[in-house]
Amino acid sequence: MTDNSDVTTQLRPRLWATINERYPGVMITKSDHVPLAKLQKPLSESRLTFVSTAGVQPRGTLPFDTVHPVGDYTFRRVPSDSKPSELEIHQIKYPTSGATRDLNVIFPLERLQELAGEGVIGKLAPNFFSFIGYNMDAERLERTLAERLAEQVVAEGADMALLSPA
Amino acid sequence: MSLQYLKDADASKDTEKLIRYVRLHLGDGDEAAGRKEVDKAWVEALKLLLDTPPTDREFILQTLAERDAATLAHLFFHLHFYFVKRSGAWIHDGQL
Repeated sequence: MTDNSDVTTQLRPRLWATINERYPGVMITKSDHVPLAKLQKPLSESRLTFVSTAGVQPRGTLPFDTVHPVGDYTFRRVPSDSKPSELEIHQIKYPTSGATRDLNVIFPLERLQELAGEGVIGKLAPNFFSFIGYNMDAERLERTLAERLAEQVVAEGADMALLSPA
Repeated sequence: MSLQYLKDADASKDTEKLIRYVRLHLGDGDEAAGRKEVDKAWVEALKLLLDTPPTDREFILQTLAERDAATLAHLFFHLHFYFVKRSGAWIHDGQL
C-alpha cells in the first residue's frame, strides 16, 4: 500500500509520450484520483482476492471476446481453489506461450494458494477475477466492468485485492 | 487509440485513422503486419473455394438476410481471425 504522494513517481517519464506518438488518441486524462486504501489488519489475518487482465477463465465458460474491435467488458470469476488444468486463457494481446506451460507466471494461482496454506496470507477469497485488458472505451470500462468487479470484491469479503495487468 | 478518437474520425470521415486502427488491431500494434494479416485472411478464404466445393448458400443468404448489421460486423472480425489462424501463420499464437 502506498500513500498518495508515492503515486507521482514515474519510473519511465517518456513512456506516455511514446505511447501517444504511436497510438494517438489513446491517452486518457483523469482529473479525479482515488488513493489506494491502507490495509486495516496484518497480511496474515487478511482475506485476499486477485484481479487480473490475463483473460484467464474456467474451462467451459463463454470465451472472452478477443476479436471485437472495441473490446470485451465482462469479467469471469475464477474459484481460488481451482487447479491450473481447470482454467484456460482467452487473450491474444500478450504472449501466452509461457503462461500456457505454467499458468502461475501470469496468474499466480498456486503461489497464492501456497502462501495462504503457509499462513503468510490469512486466507483467499472464494473467487479471483479476470478480464481482458484490451478495451477501447475507458469510460465504459470504469462505469461497468470496474464498478461491478469492485462490488464483487467487496461482496466476497476481501480485505485486499492484488491487481495484476497482463 | 480511444473509442472517442475513432468516433471523431468516423464523424469527420477520416477513414485513414480508422484504417490505421484496424491494421493496428489486426497486427498486434504493427500497421504493416496488420495489412499483411488482412491479405492473409482473404487468400486463405480464396484458397478454400478454388475447387468450388459445395457450400451452404442457404445458410449464408439466410444469415445475411436475417441478422442485423452489427452482428454481421462482429462475425466479420471473427472470420478474419478464423482464416488467419487457419492459414497456420498465426501471429496471435502466443509467441508475439
